[in-house]
Amino acid sequence: MRPSGLPWILPALALVIGVLYYSIGYTGYISTLTWNGTDIEKLNVGLSNYVTALNDPVFWKALANTAVYFIATFVVQTALGVFFALILHSRVRLGTLYKIILFVPVVLAPAVMAPVFRQVFAADGQLNWVLDHIGLSALAQPWLAQSETALPVIMVITVWEWTGLTFILYYAAMGQIEPEMVEAARLDGAGNVRVVWDIVWPSLRGTTTALLMLSAISALKTFDIPYLVTGGGPNYATEFLGTLIYRQSIPQSNVGYGAALSILLLILALGLAIVLQVAGRERKR
Amino acid sequence: MFIETRRRRSRIVLQVLLTIAVLPYLFPLVAMVQGSLSGEGWTNYAKVLAVPGFILFFRNSAIIAFVTIVLVLGVTMLAAFGFSKLHLRGREIYFWALLACLTLPEVVLLTPLFVTASTLGLYNTYWAVIIPLAALQVPFAVLLARNFVNGIPDELFEASRVDGANVYQAFWHVILPLTRPILASIVIITLIAAWNDYLFPLVFLQDTSTQTVTLIPQFFVGQFTNDQTKVLASAVITAIPEVAAYLCLQRLFERGLAAGALK
Repeated sequence: MRPSGLPWILPALALVIGVLYYSIGYTGYISTLTWNGTDIEKLNVGLSNYVTALNDPVFWKALANTAVYFIATFVVQTALGVFFALILHSRVRLGTLYKIILFVPVVLAPAVMAPVFRQVFAADGQLNWVLDHIGLSALAQPWLAQSETALPVIMVITVWEWTGLTFILYYAAMGQIEPEMVEAARLDGAGNVRVVWDIVWPSLRGTTTALLMLSAISALKTFDIPYLVTGGGPNYATEFLGTLIYRQSIPQSNVGYGAALSILLLILALGLAIVLQVAGRERKR
Repeated sequence: MFIETRRRRSRIVLQVLLTIAVLPYLFPLVAMVQGSLSGEGWTNYAKVLAVPGFILFFRNSAIIAFVTIVLVLGVTMLAAFGFSKLHLRGREIYFWALLACLTLPEVVLLTPLFVTASTLGLYNTYWAVIIPLAALQVPFAVLLARNFVNGIPDELFEASRVDGANVYQAFWHVILPLTRPILASIVIITLIAAWNDYLFPLVFLQDTSTQTVTLIPQFFVGQFTNDQTKVLASAVITAIPEVAAYLCLQRLFERGLAAGALK
């Protein structure tokens, strides 16, 4: 009979339950209060914070932004990741150099890069400077100050940051494809397009599914970039649940309302993860 | 391999296409360096480095990352061993209780941790950042490590027991030395998560002497009002150790972060 594993998993359980589950429970309790976080006086208001949230246009705006952001960044990142992986698997020179350029953004802290992006996309920033100098001055505009362009800028920054990771994963997955399969297809007269579409893309399905899950969850977790680059504005154009919860909870001290939004976010994240997991299993069958 | 380029010309076209496609990835980095050198030029760097306490941000980030890594590795390896090689009733229930936390956004923890940290006197200390960071990393680290330890044959563990080793010795001398690749991945994932974390330091560290590198831009916006060039110079200096660490340990970073993505 083997010794019991319980004492061995206890430290991990204690940390996770003591910090995470405790916080979730506490958040659930706070979500029923009207409270500023420091006063001794707390007012129990039942579920009214949730009612307020569901009637709050900013909450729905943040959800819509998250959905648009998730779909756009996922599609673009997947396309770029596959594109770079395909090219770097063929005969090009200096492959490592390109790999490094793509991967450096993954390593850099978004919080450190945020001032750079504020500068690059400013009205007198480097992007407009480049557009001026390649004869596209008509396109130059105050990217961060307009509702229509601010969210796309946040998406561009996200794609910039994460393409390297998508690329590395696809690159590794492509390394698992048997060369014989590709050669056999070529002998049958398949061209590059056919090889990529019929052999490469189907064998990347596992990676794509994993990335879909990862992108969906991290879209819901988004905070650093919109908070630091646009502050959620202009006019809530780049509001995400993360920035909304932070603003309600800390600067505005509506911790009860912030907690209710947190619980809604948690339900969404967990629900989405379960749905995607189940859908992924079904497809495998 | 998948794109055949028989002729020299098509090979050149591919190379040019690739080069043009990576330019946008290089652009922000070039803009960062260029911006940091405009105005007063290299003097920007001198002035940033001369700000008293600048080095403290790096020290604080290093301490926080180091302690977080030690904490995560310790509890994770014990748990992976317990889950994988020992008798555990309700094993999957415990495991799923950990896994459910993979989806947990940091922002959900803010208010409870803020209140608790203030009550316990941990506010403005490293622990206020280390403990939640470690707790958020553990579920995934356990998932990775458990999968890895599952791949180590049970016979190896049992043989050492037959040879008279007790369970601690078996863990320490037989299992742990075999887990080095996954240890490296966990270290890298935790290092990046701790070093790059912004929200916890933002909320829990108010005193500049305890703040981390991710709060540097904000500090310099206050320090040099409206002088964007100094802020960018500080961003370059902050980015250098990260880029250097990646360049030295390319394989480890790529493998570690790739493992981190495939939850």
